[in-house]
This record gives sequence, C-alpha cells and structure tokens, in this order.
Amino acid sequence: MTYLSQIYAIVWKDLLLEFRTRERIAAMGAFAVLAGILFNFSMDQTVVRPQDIAAGLIWMTLVFGGLLGIGRTFHLEAQDGAFQGVLTSPAPKDAIYIGKITANFVLLYIVALLVVGIFTLFFGLDLGDHPGMLALALALGSLGFVALGTLFSAVSSSTHMGETLLPILVFPLLVPMIIYGVSATSRLLADRPIADVAGNLRMLGAFAVLAVGAGAVMFRFVVEE
Amino acid sequence: MLSTASQRPDGSHVQSAVTPQAPAVSRGASPALSARGLTREFGVVVAVDGIDLELEAGDFLTVFGPNGAGKTTLLSLLGGRLKPNRGEVRVGGERLAFSETAWRARIGVLSHQTFLYAHLTVAENLRFFGKLFGLTDLDERIPARLEQVGLSDRSDFLARQLSHGMRQRAALARALLHDPELVLLDEPYTGLDPYAASVLRGVLSSLKDGRRTVVMVTHNLTQGLELANRLAIQVRGRFGWYGERSAVEPDTFEHFYHRVVEAGSA
Amino acid sequence: MPSNKLRVGGSAMAVLGVLGILVLHWMVFFWTPTEASMGIIQRIFYIHVPSAWVAFFAFGIVALCGAVYLWLGDERLDHAAASAAEGGMVFTTIVLLTGPLWGRIAWGTYWTWEPRLTLTLLLWFIYLGYFLVRSSTENPERGKRFSAVVGIVGALDIPLIHLSVLWFRSLHPTPVVVKPEGPTLHPDMLLTLAVGLISFTLLFLGVFLQRYTLAVATHLAAVREREARS
Repeated sequence: MTYLSQIYAIVWKDLLLEFRTRERIAAMGAFAVLAGILFNFSMDQTVVRPQDIAAGLIWMTLVFGGLLGIGRTFHLEAQDGAFQGVLTSPAPKDAIYIGKITANFVLLYIVALLVVGIFTLFFGLDLGDHPGMLALALALGSLGFVALGTLFSAVSSSTHMGETLLPILVFPLLVPMIIYGVSATSRLLADRPIADVAGNLRMLGAFAVLAVGAGAVMFRFVVEE
Repeated sequence: MLSTASQRPDGSHVQSAVTPQAPAVSRGASPALSARGLTREFGVVVAVDGIDLELEAGDFLTVFGPNGAGKTTLLSLLGGRLKPNRGEVRVGGERLAFSETAWRARIGVLSHQTFLYAHLTVAENLRFFGKLFGLTDLDERIPARLEQVGLSDRSDFLARQLSHGMRQRAALARALLHDPELVLLDEPYTGLDPYAASVLRGVLSSLKDGRRTVVMVTHNLTQGLELANRLAIQVRGRFGWYGERSAVEPDTFEHFYHRVVEAGSA
Repeated sequence: MPSNKLRVGGSAMAVLGVLGILVLHWMVFFWTPTEASMGIIQRIFYIHVPSAWVAFFAFGIVALCGAVYLWLGDERLDHAAASAAEGGMVFTTIVLLTGPLWGRIAWGTYWTWEPRLTLTLLLWFIYLGYFLVRSSTENPERGKRFSAVVGIVGALDIPLIHLSVLWFRSLHPTPVVVKPEGPTLHPDMLLTLAVGLISFTLLFLGVFLQRYTLAVATHLAAVREREARS
C-alpha cells in the first residue's frame, strides 16, 4: 500500500540521515550523561535516597534532552529546501507526520533507555520486578511527547524565536504525561503491585493516542504556506 | 492596460488575440494547464496579481521578468506549493485542490533549491522521492534518469560531494523521475557550467515530446527563447506581455523586454 | 454594515456588564452573608470564580473559532479568536492575581497547587504561546494558522490536564483547602455568585465584540489602502 510505503520511506530516510550525521542523537545522548553527572552532585545522598527521586529525574531528563533533539526535527529538512520536495509530493500530510514521529520516537526511545541505563549505573538503581512495565511506561510517554513535540517543532521552526519557543508551547501540554509517567515509574521502582500502575499506563496510552491523532490532523495546517 | 500589450517588438501594433486579461482561445477539450485570476498575497505585498494563462500539451512557456516580479511565486502556485488567495489552477482540467494529493504526481518541479538531502547519495535521494511518488519500478527508472542527466557514475556520491552543476542535474533527475506531464523550472540555468547547461538543454528539448507541458522561469533572454513556443513577461505580479514565440525576433527581443518592464514598473 | 450593530451591541453589553459589576460589588460588600470559616476575605471568591469562568469560556471561543477558521479560511473567524484570546488572557491574569491574594490572607500561603488554580496557570501559558506564535512569524497568515493549532490542541489537552492534576492532588491531600468556596453555599451567596458570573460574562462579551469589530475594521482599512495604492 502506497500510504505505508510512503511512511516507511520517511522513517528510513530520517533514521539514515541521523545515522550519517548523528546530529541529534549525539546531543541528546551527551545531555543524558551530563545530566546524570550534574544530578549526582545535586543530591546530598545522606539526606535523600536516589531511588526515591529517580523517577522524576529520569522523566525530566528525558523531556529536556528530548526537546533538544525534537526541536531540530526540521533542521536538515530546511537545508536545500528538501522538505518542500516532500510537501509537493503526493504523500499525504498525515503520512509525512506519522513518518516523522515514528523516526523521532525511535531516537527518543533509544535516549530514554540510555537515561535509565546511565542513571541505574550512576545511582545504583533497582529497577524493580517489572522492568518490562517500566519500558512500556517510557514508550507510551515518549510517544505522546514525540507527537506533540514534532507538531510544535514544525511551528517553532517557522518563527523568529525558533527552538526557544518550543518549551513554551509544549511544556503546559505535557503535564498529564509527567504526572502519569512519573507516578508509574516511581511506583515500579518502589516495587508496588502492577494494579497500582495499570491506571497510569492507561492514561499514558490515552494521552499518546490523543496526541498522535491531534497531530496527524493539525500537521497539514502547520506546514501550509 | 499597457500600451505595449498589443505592440509587436518592431513597434507596430497588433490586434493580438492574446492580451493579459483575456484567456487564450481554447484549442482542445481541457487545456494541459490553466490559471484563472490567480492571485497570491503575502501580507500587503501582492506577489501575483490576477494572472490568467492557458497551455496545451506540448507547449513550452518561458516567463521572463525582473527580480521581484513574482515569477517564483507564480511557479509555486502552478506547482501547488502555495495556495492562491483568489483564482484557481487546473492541470489537465483537474482543479488543484489542497485536500487531495493525487494531482501532485503529475507535476515535476526544478527549483533553485535542489530539494536534495545533502547527506544522502544521489541514488538514495532518488529512491526516497520515488517512494513518495508511489513508483514501483525504481530499479529501472533511477539508472535511466541518471544516464539521461549524465550522472550514472556519481550515483553513490553524497549530494554534498557534488559540484553545483552536478547537483542541479541530480535535482533535474529528481524532478523528472515520475514522468510528470507538467514540468516547472525556476531559473534552471543559474550557476551551471557549460557542460551542465548543455545537458540541461538536451533534457529540456527531449521534454518537447508533444504531450508534456513545460513552464520555465528565467532571467536569461537567449536561453529562454531557445525552446519556448509561448512567452510571457511578468512585471509586478502581472503579465506585461503574453504571446507566441513566433511573434518575436531574437535580435529585438531584449529591447522589447526592457520596454515592457519599464512600462509595467511605472 | 453588520459591524455597526455588533459594535453597538458590544457597547451595550459592556455597559450592562459594568453595571452588573457595580451591583455585584454592592452585593459583595453590603449584602451577601459572610462565610463562616474564612471570614471577610472569602468575598474575593465572587471576583475570582467569575473571572475563571470567563477565562475558560473565552478559550473555548478561541479554540472553536480557530477550528472553523482552519476549516473555512474566513478571516473574520481569526479576528474573533484573537479578540477572545485577548479578553481571555486578561481574565486569566485576574484569576492568578486574586487566587494567591486570597490564599495568603485566608490560609497563610500564596500558592497551593489547588487544581483549578494550577489549570488556570497552565492556561495562562497556553494563551502566551497563542500570542507569541502569532507575532513571531514572518508570514502573518501562517501565524494565524499556528495560533489556531495552539488553541485547538490546548483545548483538547485541557480536560486531560485537569484530570491528571486532580488525580495528582488526590494523592497528596492538603488539609488546608478542600473546597475553596467553603463547605456550604448559602442561597444568598449563590445569588451573588450568579450575578457575578452573568456580569463578568456580559463584560467580556461586550469587550470581545468591540475588539472584534475593531479588528475587522482595521483589516478592511488595510485592504482598501492597498487597493488604493495599486
């Protein structure tokens, strides 16, 4: 089906470009490690147990670092006007959007796993009995984040303020993701039963679905000149 | 309207059947490309101001004009990159409606931006755009196009490793990959070395196969007259003159062009 | 011209709104009973709550007009959305100023993460994004479309934000505030509140209509000037 192959082409192209330039993954990865280092110095471990506050630190690192990368989504596209070539092709705008967020999701999820890995290493975290659930929570949160971030990255790239506008546009909208994501993560890290986490995961999923749906519909209005 | 609108380059007046405000006499069922009252504003600037045109399959229109005349905007409107504020564009009788995308497969655009990803190879670029256009026979198509523009030996070079002329040729291959019936070219000769320019000329001549329609925007009066059978001079968003190539003599054209531009800028 | 009727209608509503607010103030200071637990300061509630209602009502208009603007492309819808956003942001600011004032005097702290106040704070930033995106684009038409998207996505997210914040608060109940308006609402208080809601809404609608007609008139003037020049 042409629609799917168009999405696949965009995902493949974005990931190939990222692999060749390493523009965003390097920045996000470095941010993750450096954030971990700074957090180490910002915790007095005689007063506070890392395990207790790790969930919040993980998600905030993911949001700030992720925004660095997502903010540049359309940067390579702007050089040589390549994106115009994409927009004037028969590929529907929602297919372009879904391709973009899929590629961004792959990148962000790699960074998410990196953050958890680095923080586990740095702070001796115990990931609890259900690391799979943790991975799922991160995945659902990342998806919603990427959906909104990519949509508004297209907006901010076309303004004078550029990427500095992105946090203002996106942070208020991310509140549900933070609330449910951090809660699920901290409960999993505290070895609470799965039943305590299921509701949060459902809400994270609902947020992701809504974000992707809204983005897919709105993207065409954002890229129109 | 301008007094030069119906004036031959040699100074004599002509009862022209083609004036800027009246559409051309229709010669077929539905023209290959038509525009009616095409208008596009950017805030208070009117880049394209009520342009009409009509082309049949096989026509080659060259649009001349000074900088700021709105030629690139016109091309963007014809290619469906921009939405007009007023008026409409039809390709093969079908209106360019922005809610659908199928008509985009019939149009090929060569802009002064190359539309190529610097960090992908020529072949990868073509394959990517080929997939976007829903083409399935890329294994045959891509080598054929590359050969046509003389880049067969560079297909695995990254786009950023190519010289400007080669990049333009790659962009041309991209523009024609899906065999479009309408080809739009924006200043294609700019910055090309003589070899690249001759390759371009060759490819453009091959486009004159009777079923494809070409609209080319250029500064260069000589190159613009070479292949065209229809001409237009755009000034301040309007066609100061719109007529047949046969109505014009290459020697006097430059003088005529300047007169039209002066009149339109007044 | 329709805008004449709208302008007059808008002025009428605004005047009614102001009158209503004068009546409201009389009621608030001289008529309505004092709330038992919080005392006199509770009276700020009659300004605070109607402002919050208008802030969100205005945003609803912003989102709705934005959505139809994207669909139909009629400039006037964008003028309506922007006019509503201006009024909405003003009232949102009023909520954020009266809330902490009330909190400081009633409970000793300027800020508690009271769910509705939190939501209003986030709404303020969504409004900010709305205006920033309009003013920082090269092409003003794109800016209008961007702001419509901000309004629509914001409106879709606000219920979710509210749910999540409520849930978050339910985990950390603070003994201070369960119902900011007080445990019971005496019928006289209800009447005062109703007067407040109606007059604030009228004031907002009046200002909104005035702003809208001004925006349409400015736009028409710009169009005529451009036509005259060419």
